[in-house]
Amino acid sequence: MPPVLRLLRTASFRLAALYVAVFAVSALVLGAAVFLAARSALEQQMAARIETEAAYLRDEFRSGGLDHLLFIVRSRGRGASALDYLVQDREGIHLAGEMPVATTVRPGWTTVEVPEASEDSGRPERVRALVSDLGGGLLLMVGDDLSRITEVEEAVATAFLWTVGLAALLGIGGGILLSRTFLARVDAIARTAEAIIGGDLARRVPVRGTNDDLDRLAGTLNRMLDRIGTLMDSLRQVSSDVAHDLRTPLSRLYQRLEDAKTHARSVAEYEVAVEGAAREAEGLLETFSALLRIAQVEGASPHAGFRDVDLSAMAEAVADAYRPDAEEAGHHLITQVAPGIVVYGDQELLTQAVANLVENALRHTPAGTHIGVSLSRNGEAGVCLTVEDDGPGVAAGDMPRLADRFFRSERSRTTPGNGLGLSLIAAVAELHGAALQLSDAGSGLRASLLFPNVRVTP
Amino acid sequence: MKVLVIEDDAETAAYIVRGLHEHGHVADQALDGRDGLFMASGGGYDVLVVDRMLPGLDGLGLVRTLRGAGMQAPVLFLTALSGIGDRVQGLEAGGDDYLVKPFAFTELLARLNALARRPPLSDVPTTHSVADLHLDLLKRTVTRGGERVELQPREFRLLEFLVRHADRVVTRTMLLEGVWDFHFDPKTNIVETHISRLRAKISRGGNDPELIHTVRGSGYAIRAPGA
Repeated sequence: MPPVLRLLRTASFRLAALYVAVFAVSALVLGAAVFLAARSALEQQMAARIETEAAYLRDEFRSGGLDHLLFIVRSRGRGASALDYLVQDREGIHLAGEMPVATTVRPGWTTVEVPEASEDSGRPERVRALVSDLGGGLLLMVGDDLSRITEVEEAVATAFLWTVGLAALLGIGGGILLSRTFLARVDAIARTAEAIIGGDLARRVPVRGTNDDLDRLAGTLNRMLDRIGTLMDSLRQVSSDVAHDLRTPLSRLYQRLEDAKTHARSVAEYEVAVEGAAREAEGLLETFSALLRIAQVEGASPHAGFRDVDLSAMAEAVADAYRPDAEEAGHHLITQVAPGIVVYGDQELLTQAVANLVENALRHTPAGTHIGVSLSRNGEAGVCLTVEDDGPGVAAGDMPRLADRFFRSERSRTTPGNGLGLSLIAAVAELHGAALQLSDAGSGLRASLLFPNVRVTP
Repeated sequence: MKVLVIEDDAETAAYIVRGLHEHGHVADQALDGRDGLFMASGGGYDVLVVDRMLPGLDGLGLVRTLRGAGMQAPVLFLTALSGIGDRVQGLEAGGDDYLVKPFAFTELLARLNALARRPPLSDVPTTHSVADLHLDLLKRTVTRGGERVELQPREFRLLEFLVRHADRVVTRTMLLEGVWDFHFDPKTNIVETHISRLRAKISRGGNDPELIHTVRGSGYAIRAPGA
């Protein structure tokens, strides 16, 4: 599209044009009102002047007679602002004044046309005149040139047209300028989007820091791009994790089947192989569903399906569920749960997160370990749910990587598991705006979920 | 029981139908939503197995339509993905149970059995008996041979769940969902441990005959001796 056409199509230009149109119409209405008011005032002024002169002349006639009147009329100046006169008798004979004799005039207001002999244009002069009957058919006519009013009217109209024209020009020019700056910023956003489409995912919309509408839009777009970027990264991470870490169990499965194909000779041997392969496949499926679950939690829209969850009751119930198991295994499960703590969240996911924490403690510590589940108000900040143990703990170097997908410390490689438990807990925590904190608890590991701004029911 | 399997994956549908036939049940299959709706609205099925994602008519829509038409046959949803809220959506649409693929056939069968024989809500009895074991659901008391057995609340719920499904297999997952409200698979033996404690309590130290039986590879069943 040619640039000019594009300019004409922009929202700000259209807006400017609309403003100019509205301004022009209102200026015209105002102009018309001024025009009419001025004309009416001028006409009244003219009529008053004529009436005064006519009354004066009538008085002079009454007191001084016809000759006196004729004398005054003849002696009236003929300047630019002078009035026009006519005195005629009953037969229509011209006695004095420069206006032509009119045969059909009656007393009262009238408009007559006076041929202007002195002027080259030859255009007749229109004269507004008052005719008075002085008695006995003697008529006195006093008039004034109407073009005087027309001139003022023309001046007013011209002034208005200039004003409106100039304002329209300024408005359109301003509109074009505004559109230009606006378009430049829209273009910047479009160029960013094009660059991102082209693969440069790190690009962001420029923000000028003026906090105007476009700036806020740019900020929102950038936050959206950040979020999409995070999701893309996590997706990419999942695919590469899957590619790396599922190769091992898949090749084990393949080897088992291959081995059975070449070496198994009896039904019993085949059964053993099939059994093993099925177990391997089951483990693979579990890993896959754990990965999917994490991806779903990470990609979930926050607060979808959220409701008030009684964290106190939930923590007790989870501890309750694991207590017999813990005791069988020689662990000591101790709870210290403050009552009535409610968080806004997903009951199922929170239950799973807390259960996973307890399970981790059970599975990675030897018999005789104490496992503490505690829930408490964490000052003003919120609520803290902690699962800690006094087991052997985690090597300091492993601590930051504990929540990474598929990470398994040297010590835990022999225990069953897929290294996804803490990743899921971290994802659930993030979905709830909570933080998963892993720290050294003297000898063992302390895992805390820190919930901000939790509603606490008394 | 007579089961209608509405599942677009022919292999899965055949697997379910074959398994049901082997266990002496009658099973029909529909490969898309429209056929399924047509067959289901004919009535006569004890339970429906419906895939969430179907060509022609989505599983949720199908069940909503059936429920809207007043069909009361219980529905078990099958799904390939267990997204957050998927289960709740399924239940809200009128489903009665929810199973995520892949699943063991024994799990499906146990759940279908539970659904097909579920009594109408109006006449759920408030007391249950298995042999000389009696449960009073209102007073929350248990007696064995007339003698009071003290149970923890969770143990009572576990026993209640078993007794409500007396003579049928309940799987580990059914127990986790029904008793603990755990919709995930714990890697520890919490079900096994609770069952063994419950067994010890209701057999009064091993003096009474065993009521809770382990069904190998499937789960547990409570039934009177010799039944």
